[in-house]
Amino acid sequence: MSKMISMQEAAAMVSDGTVLGIGGNVLHRAPMAFVRELVRQRKRNLKLVKTAGAMDVDMLCFGGCVTSVDAGFISYESEFSLAMHYRKAVESGQVKGNEHACYTVISALRAASYGVGFMPVKGLSVSDLIEENDYFTRITDPFTNEMVTVVKAIRPDVAVIHVQEADEDGNARISGPLFEDILLSRAAKRVILTAEHIVSSSLFSSGTKKADIPHFLVSGVVHTVKGAAPCSCAGSYDIDTKGIRAFKEIKDQDGLAVYLSAYERADRRGLGGRNDGKR
Amino acid sequence: MMEKDNRICDIMVCAMARMIQDGDKVFHGVSSHMPMIAVLLAKELHAPHAVHLNIPGGVDPSPRKLKKYTSAGSELLEGAKSSFPLMEVFDLSMRGGLDMAFLSGVQFDNRGNVNASVIGSYQKPKVRLPGGAGSAVLIPTAKRAVIWRTKHDKRTFVNQVDFITTKGNVDRIVTPLCIFKMENGKLVLDTIHETSTLKEVEDNTGFPVKYSRIAVTPSPTKTELSVLKRIDPGDFRNIEF
Repeated sequence: MSKMISMQEAAAMVSDGTVLGIGGNVLHRAPMAFVRELVRQRKRNLKLVKTAGAMDVDMLCFGGCVTSVDAGFISYESEFSLAMHYRKAVESGQVKGNEHACYTVISALRAASYGVGFMPVKGLSVSDLIEENDYFTRITDPFTNEMVTVVKAIRPDVAVIHVQEADEDGNARISGPLFEDILLSRAAKRVILTAEHIVSSSLFSSGTKKADIPHFLVSGVVHTVKGAAPCSCAGSYDIDTKGIRAFKEIKDQDGLAVYLSAYERADRRGLGGRNDGKR
Repeated sequence: MMEKDNRICDIMVCAMARMIQDGDKVFHGVSSHMPMIAVLLAKELHAPHAVHLNIPGGVDPSPRKLKKYTSAGSELLEGAKSSFPLMEVFDLSMRGGLDMAFLSGVQFDNRGNVNASVIGSYQKPKVRLPGGAGSAVLIPTAKRAVIWRTKHDKRTFVNQVDFITTKGNVDRIVTPLCIFKMENGKLVLDTIHETSTLKEVEDNTGFPVKYSRIAVTPSPTKTELSVLKRIDPGDFRNIEF
C-alpha cells in the first residue's frame, strides 16, 4: 500500500501539542525540510524529543512552535557554536528545557518501545537533575534493596526521520550512522519518513541487506530530495555551510519567513501519490 | 630537548593523548575535536590497541579527512571494521566496561562537581547552557573521566558550581593553563604548562590552588607534532581558541 504523501500532508499529521521525536544527531541527517514545513504551518506547543539537537530544535524554537525540549545537548558543534534561539526561549520561559543525559533520552525511548512506564538508569547517581525534574526519581531496587534512579518513558506521538532510501510502502534503509533512529521508530506511536530516494521494494526483497525500518511502523513517506539540507546526509551530501550561516544571521520573524520561502519549492516538490519519486 | 614556542592546543592534545593507555576503551562525543585528535594521536604512537569509540559508532575508524564542524559525522565510520554506536557505548559504560571518557563542562569546583546545565537557577536560568550530553551518566560510570576546557578563568573554576550536572570519576581536568587532578576528593594542581605560571593559574582560579609539588606539563615531542600535522592537517585542534 502506497504511503506516499506530500510534505504539507505530512506536516499536517503533527497537531499542536504533539510529542515529536526528531531523528538524526546534531547537524547530521536532521529532517530539516520537514522542520521548515512545521514552522511554515505555524505549529504550536510541540514537545520535542532528541538526544542531541542543533539547527532543527533551534529553528522550531525561533518559529515559536515549541513548549518543551527533552534532550541531552542542544547546540551546533564547534564551528557554528550555540543554539541561540533555543537558549533565549528557555531563558525567557517560553520553552521548558528538560535536560537529560543523552542516555536518559535513550532509556526513556527504550521504556516506551518495551511497553513499560519507566527504565532504571545506572549512571545517573549524583546530579541535581534528579531533584529538579519530575521525569527522574529514585526508587528501591526490589531485588537488591539498593537505590536506583529511574526515568519516565517517553512515547513520542510522532517521530520524523530522514532516510536515504525508502520504498513507497515505508520500508526504509539508513546509510551511515544510524544514531538512535531505529529505537525512535519503535518507540513512537506514528512514524513519518522523509526520503532522499524512493526505491523499488525489490531492492529490499531481493537483496541481503534489508530495510532498517519496516513498513508497518510507518504512517507516511515524503519524497524529499535534500531533505536534511543544510545539515548533512551521509553518502548524499555534506553540510551547506552557507545555509547554516544564513539561518544563524537572521534577526527577526520577517527574516525567518524569507529564509523559509527560499526552501519552500524544493521542500514541497514531493507531491505524494503512487508515482511520486519514481524514475 | 624542549621545543620552543609550543602552542597551547598542541600541549593540551598531547597531554590528553598520553593519558590514554594502550588497550583502553576510550570515548569522545560531539563538539570534541581536541579529544578526537588526541585519541587518533595516541593510537598512532603509544596506544595502538586503544579502542576508539564515538557517536556514529565506527570502532577504531581511520577517517580520510576530519571535518571542521563536527566530531560526530560519518567520517568516523571510515575504515572501521565494526559498528558500536552511542547507545551501546553508554551500555558498555554502565556495565563497567568503558575505561575512559573525554567530557567537558562550563563550571567546575574543587570538589569535582561539574556544571554543564545552567547559570543561575535551573527552573529560571540566567543562561541556559547546551547541556551535559553524556556527562551525567558517563562521569560516574567510566573508570576515568578526563575533562578538557579551553577556558580557564574565575567564572569557570569556581568555589561552588551553580548546578551539579554530575560528579564522579573525574581523573584529570585539562585547561589552557594547567592540568588538575582529583586526589582524595579534591582538585589539586598536577602540572602547569610551559606557556603559563603558578601565579597565572592562581589568579584565574576561583578556589585556592593546592599542590604538593610544581611540575611542568611535558612538552609535545617532535614525533607527536609531526603525527598531529598528518592526522589533523586542517588544525582543527586549535578551533576552540
